[in-house]
Amino acid sequence: MDNCEVPSKKVIEFKPPVYEQRYYFVKNLVNRHGLRKIADLGFGDATLLWMLKYHRCVQYLVGVDVAARPFEWGGGRLSPGVGGYIVPRELDLTITLYRGSAVQKDSRLCGFDLITCIELIEHLDSEDLAKFPEVVFGYFSPGMVVISTPNSEFNPLFPASTFRDPDHRFEWNRTQFQTWALDVAKLYNYSVEFTGVGDPPAGAEHVGYCTQIGVFQKNIAKATESSISEPEEHVPEEHIYEVVYTTSYPSLQQSKYFRLTLSSESVKAIGLMKSRFLRGLRKREGDRVVPLGSCTPQFGLTEAQRAEIDQSPKPYSVGEKFYVPLERLIIYPKVNHLVAGSMEKLRTILAEGLRLNGDQSAVQVELVDYQTQRLFDEHLISPVLES
Amino acid sequence: MSGRARVRARGMARSPSAAGAGRALAPPSASPSPSASPSASASPASVDLGNNEASSTSGFVGTSRMSEKCEDVRPSGDAGCTFIERGGKIRRDFTDLSVCTREKLAHVRDCKRGSSGVPVKLVTNLFSLDLPQDWQLYQYHVAYVPDIESRRLRIALLYSHKELSNKAKAFDGVILFLSQKLEEKVTELSSETSRGKTVKMTITLTRELPARSPVCIQVFNIIFRKILKKLAMYQIGRNFYKPSESVEIPQHKLSLWPGFAISVSQFESRLLFTADVSYKILRNETVLEFMTGICQETGMSCFTQTCEKQLLGLIVLTRYNNKTYRIDDIDWSVKPTHTFQKQDGTEVTYVDYYKQQYDITLSNLNQPVLVSLLKSKRNDNPEVRVAHLIPELCFLTGLTRQATSDFQLMKAVAEETRLSPLGRQQRLARLADDIQRNKDARFELETWGLHFGCQMSLTGRVLPSEKILMQDRVCQPGSAAEWSKDMRNCKILSARSLNKWLVICSNRDENVTEDFLHCLRRVGGSMGFNVDYPKIIKVQENPAAFLKALQKYVDPNVQLVMCILPSNQKSYYDSIKKYLSSVCPVPSQCVLIRTLNKQGMMMSIATKIAMQMACKLGGELWAVEIPLKSLMVVGIDVCKDEFSKGMVVVGFVASINPGITRWFSRCILQRTTTDVADCLKVFMTGALNRWCKHNHAPPARIVVYRDGVGDGQLKTLIEYEVPQLLSSVTEASSNTSAKLSVIVVRKKCAPRFFTEVNRSLQNPPLGTVVDSEATRPEWYDFYLISQAAGRGTITPTHYNVIYDDNGLKPDHMQRLTFKLCHVYYNWPGLISIPAPCQYAHKLTFLVAQSVHKEPSLELANSLFYL
Repeated sequence: MDNCEVPSKKVIEFKPPVYEQRYYFVKNLVNRHGLRKIADLGFGDATLLWMLKYHRCVQYLVGVDVAARPFEWGGGRLSPGVGGYIVPRELDLTITLYRGSAVQKDSRLCGFDLITCIELIEHLDSEDLAKFPEVVFGYFSPGMVVISTPNSEFNPLFPASTFRDPDHRFEWNRTQFQTWALDVAKLYNYSVEFTGVGDPPAGAEHVGYCTQIGVFQKNIAKATESSISEPEEHVPEEHIYEVVYTTSYPSLQQSKYFRLTLSSESVKAIGLMKSRFLRGLRKREGDRVVPLGSCTPQFGLTEAQRAEIDQSPKPYSVGEKFYVPLERLIIYPKVNHLVAGSMEKLRTILAEGLRLNGDQSAVQVELVDYQTQRLFDEHLISPVLES
Repeated sequence: MSGRARVRARGMARSPSAAGAGRALAPPSASPSPSASPSASASPASVDLGNNEASSTSGFVGTSRMSEKCEDVRPSGDAGCTFIERGGKIRRDFTDLSVCTREKLAHVRDCKRGSSGVPVKLVTNLFSLDLPQDWQLYQYHVAYVPDIESRRLRIALLYSHKELSNKAKAFDGVILFLSQKLEEKVTELSSETSRGKTVKMTITLTRELPARSPVCIQVFNIIFRKILKKLAMYQIGRNFYKPSESVEIPQHKLSLWPGFAISVSQFESRLLFTADVSYKILRNETVLEFMTGICQETGMSCFTQTCEKQLLGLIVLTRYNNKTYRIDDIDWSVKPTHTFQKQDGTEVTYVDYYKQQYDITLSNLNQPVLVSLLKSKRNDNPEVRVAHLIPELCFLTGLTRQATSDFQLMKAVAEETRLSPLGRQQRLARLADDIQRNKDARFELETWGLHFGCQMSLTGRVLPSEKILMQDRVCQPGSAAEWSKDMRNCKILSARSLNKWLVICSNRDENVTEDFLHCLRRVGGSMGFNVDYPKIIKVQENPAAFLKALQKYVDPNVQLVMCILPSNQKSYYDSIKKYLSSVCPVPSQCVLIRTLNKQGMMMSIATKIAMQMACKLGGELWAVEIPLKSLMVVGIDVCKDEFSKGMVVVGFVASINPGITRWFSRCILQRTTTDVADCLKVFMTGALNRWCKHNHAPPARIVVYRDGVGDGQLKTLIEYEVPQLLSSVTEASSNTSAKLSVIVVRKKCAPRFFTEVNRSLQNPPLGTVVDSEATRPEWYDFYLISQAAGRGTITPTHYNVIYDDNGLKPDHMQRLTFKLCHVYYNWPGLISIPAPCQYAHKLTFLVAQSVHKEPSLELANSLFYL
């Protein structure tokens, strides 16, 4: 978009762009540590939160921004979306956005695993910057803090010689940032490590990363000590921030979605069995029609799983109904994973959404439905062998 | 032919070459939105007017991304006066509303209301929407110096400006709408990009629009879409759904989401908000699972063809970003382990990409990728981009044809979605309540100066009931919904004796067939339809054997062939109908053996079949009084062909006697690109000739009911179809030609009506007409409720008289229409549309589903398709 500008120096292009590298830095950190509760101060357009919401480990995401406007977050990309309902997450996830400032105390920000302040501190004036450590490290006191800020030593490589953004109050060099960070860490019992993103071009390695990052980790021994003297729940409720958006994701921890997912995985497994059953040879045994083969699906299973299924009770049909013994169904990996191998759980939950046979040992479905209707049309159904 | 080659063969270039700028071929949302004012906290976040739910719509004040990589490449400067919405299209039903037909019809210019019948108070699903008297919308043009191509950046820069931040606004990147006028006609603003570059924005007032302007209506619709999103609803297509209240039907792998179809538009006297309950059917099945199923059924031999046949053209939903795509191709040569280029130029495999970006592990590394051609947001952008989608992450949406023919499934769906008038009203009331209570919704309405009012009631009229004329008596049915009981032992108006006919059945079904024939002859006799004993041919139980028997035994002297089908396998029906409609034109009657085996139903089944057979031989069953002498009524419908995409079947059915009991039926298969109008002249001339032959003079009046009209087609109808019809009418007679009226029939319309009975709500009585308030000022239109619904809520049928030489009083037009809803011979009762339309529909459906060929002209004089 700056195509009218005639660059005085060669424009440095980052691949991927630096802002993206910053986000990936956080993303990887979250993934590596399996962090559950994360807040982003100065969330901007919420891209970082959006990227983090996909992580299975994340259960609680909070964004705080002074410029957050309520109407702009309805139905946005932070919402679960249609897909989120069709394929619910394993764990609950709540996302809340607040309008507020990083130098205001709000008790709802206490007790997080990680608080990120990406390109935030350089926008604070000296008064706010002075308050900032006390609020974030002293009051919110999360397990980890990530602070990123421009590295001014890198600036001479950019065409414009001033600050990178007109709203920046300062841009620090590495010494300035590290001095500040070490002081803060010491004061609030954190340890800090320095890194960055945006590699300098060849020949200019001495300037360091384009963006410098400090990763603060709470000193655990100290933290335990302080939590004894001042337990978390004793932080008085203080709600300064205004909620501008909040959403909860459907998940398998909620019974409705668990039941739905288990039923649909079961119905899918049964459907595949049924199509094998109708296509293979069958014989009559009393009122039952049983397959000669094993009706094991051809795809998506390991050898061992297939062997196990071969050994389990076979599905059968009686009249217009098709039955799949639960003992067979539970071997299917997705079903098994969902109920954690518990037959009782499988039986109880399936009984709520599907039909089970008399002694509750098998699921009953229609032998012919629209899926199998296709088979009829193409004359693929093999006849029943009378015995 | 590989997937790639096929895309090219269809004349669509792949993106990288077309873009010229080396645009990356990437999965949707390949990289996070380029947010990025380095100052995260100060970065403005804009609302995209396009309401593009899940995509990265937030505004940004750019960094290192260069302009050619921005998503919306568009010639700079003025983009015309059309405001760009989602998909870049103006809603087509809005274009119909700008077609003013009423002003040309002198007799209804002042009043289009009827008078007969009993007034009835009706509750509607319409809500008043009030604006201050002098409300105006101000349209501005926004120019940028230096010019900026990215729509997102344009929006972000404008929205971030203090001058506009607190104003109600709608902006698409070029055109800005405000509800408050800016002080100056031309306002100069400047904003800075993240690099500190100053951009000058010149906002020039171009128009001041009154609330009734179509542009305002469009803006109101945008506002309400924003509001519904605020109520935790999801936009899918045009409608809004509440996933949190979904209903699951696990045995059919379906989820039903309740929601609303909403719109704001100008009704007869005021602006109204319409909301109708709608359900979205979502399938809990991925494309990969669907493919696995196909593979298991068909084996590998014709796997790829079957997949393409079943999948191409379907709409899928990607679970990670909630967008919908059409499957245009399947690229079997690409696997998830292959790499693609992200927008930033880096290469990554699909597997790694989905793991990194969405924490999704792909389970199958051999699946192909689905190819979707992405539509350009701007119509004038010729560029075609494609998206690659992983089958495992794509969900099928909607129901397939197979699914809709599954009785069990449809029953399950109907049970969940059918709502009584009371149930519907409760949902509407809750929606209205939610809109009024929600803080943000209220804020949005207030800043625009809109007041969301109460649910509207109006007065309709219940037309007098009709008498049914039989041969030997006139009966006043107990219920107009169904009069089969009243008709028992009545003689039908006329019937030809059935002397020479054939029955073909399978060997096994001989006894049942004999019993049935006995019954059929008895009921035939009592209704005045003589049925002689047929020749019975027994055949093997397969479609080929039935067809062979037809070829051997059917000759032109045979009056009718009855086939007793052993199963509802479509091939039986299709091959029989195809042979007997076009190759060897003889009326045919197919009966499922299962129907005949129903216990205790034999008499009523035989009665119904006897009536159908009588019609197929050219008989007349019953009539209603038609006060107009020498009136021809015509029904036209259009149906898509089941087999060949791009083909439609146009059906035309005209009455050929003043009593409106005998019909002339024609249909034609033609390309979708061909105008329907082209065949109408031939059909109309044919019908007029037939009328003259029977009545020795042309008809004095012709009333045409045109069904099968899509959104946005009204203008074409008026400009091409009506002239075609007119010219054939003029040419048909030397002196005074018949007077013509053309009425557009719509079975789907937004308004719903309920009556209050004992503090509960019910469907309005049969024959209820609404011709005020819920109608449109620019049309001569009315609603008629002419069908009964045992359960559920009735949808009124909308009639729009677009041409009217006859100058009938509105009251007469309404009553004539109501009368015509009584004479569909396949149902002894009222139906939702005039009989000629229903006949045309039945005819086109038969041809589109089974025959796929024009039926022989020899059959045109009988209702052979019933």
